[in-house]
Amino acid sequence: MDIKLTINEEEKRFSIEPGEILLDSLRDAGYTSVKEGCKTGDCGACMVLVDGKAMTSCTMFTAQARGNDIKTVKGLNDELAEKLKQSFLDMGAVQCGFCIPGMLISAYSLLSSNPDPTKREIKAALDGNICRCTGYVKQIQAIKRAAEKWEKQENV
Amino acid sequence: MLQNVQNYHYPGSLHEAHSLRNREGRTYLIAGGTALALSNSKQPVELIDLNRLQLNQVGINVKEDLQTITIGSTVKIQELVESQELNDLTNGFLPKSLEKIGSYPIRNAATLGGSIVRPFPWSDVIPILLVLDAEIEYYNGATGCQPIDAIYNQSFRSTLQKAIITGIRIKLRVKETTRAEFFKFSRSEFDIATLNLACSISTKDEHIAKARLAVGARPSLASRVEEAERSLKDEKTCKISPKRIGQIARSAVEISGDHKASEEYRSVQVEKMTEDAITNIINQLHNGH
Repeated sequence: MDIKLTINEEEKRFSIEPGEILLDSLRDAGYTSVKEGCKTGDCGACMVLVDGKAMTSCTMFTAQARGNDIKTVKGLNDELAEKLKQSFLDMGAVQCGFCIPGMLISAYSLLSSNPDPTKREIKAALDGNICRCTGYVKQIQAIKRAAEKWEKQENV
Repeated sequence: MLQNVQNYHYPGSLHEAHSLRNREGRTYLIAGGTALALSNSKQPVELIDLNRLQLNQVGINVKEDLQTITIGSTVKIQELVESQELNDLTNGFLPKSLEKIGSYPIRNAATLGGSIVRPFPWSDVIPILLVLDAEIEYYNGATGCQPIDAIYNQSFRSTLQKAIITGIRIKLRVKETTRAEFFKFSRSEFDIATLNLACSISTKDEHIAKARLAVGARPSLASRVEEAERSLKDEKTCKISPKRIGQIARSAVEISGDHKASEEYRSVQVEKMTEDAITNIINQLHNGH
């Protein structure tokens, strides 16, 4: 079947199987920042924003996304996204990097709706992301730091 | 993924969705799609997406002493978790319990409707809805409504195979004070439950007007513990012995073992969780929380 999807604010035409999974469609179309990890909705490596909400693209049919606004980590280009990315680098929150696109999607989704999250709220927002290298501490610190910088700027 | 999907439909009305549902062959409904997307079936199927049917609303209706909450079958679980209104109406019970389901991205997709149409034995949704005496609204050419307990009834299960669940209805009596607790035991925060337990107690004039206790992931599908409920009914809350109710629950619940936990382990958990749930509820009732 042929459908149109809006990915990173660009409308794209896809020819898909009716039961195709969004993760596969995105990667086949070159959106390789969406990582294939567990493919069971557990690890969060394949996370994308669907109408601003963080979702695992491995648990969603491509056809379901028709009419939704999909964003991959590469589509996050505003100041909040830049602050988050820089903060991850500054805090040493990236090791092998495989989980980071998903982590950034979760963090962006959190800070978009809650610019001053508590540590508990950050942990809750990351509860769908698995990192096997760093142990989460650095990522939590990076998100907190990005939130502080973001809030400071918003208040100026 | 499903290996042999023949067609993906976007019905624009309930009537159209129902017609598609009743076509020859196997059809699956998509509300959140999370469980289906992970399914590996090779059977030919057609998928019917319900997300354009405007079933994504939460309605609250207050009439005399009855508050009725209607949750559309495609409302995402995370929306319920974040609902201040539901938090206020259920004293935090519904949002706080639903927050224990899966992870944030899964709750952003999963729905109550999907959890009922394909009830998994380890489902957290079923015991939560059982203790709220929820009702299932559906459309099978005409609108219908059945108590949640009907999911154990084979004929209703068959009806649902050809119907569309449109919503979940929860009724709360204003003149009764209701408090509830939900416990989930799992190996990690978003793993499926090794055991889950929900309990609700409604009081009127310091006596228990209604009690509900449900245990799920036994490892079979959640069921109510009517022996424990009967022991609580009409008692004064200050006279309740949570320990004794825990023991009753332990002996009444049909439990077995599997790769996640032994029968004995689960039995001990049922007793302890029941005791803790009732203790917490009684404390809430006495402290006016």
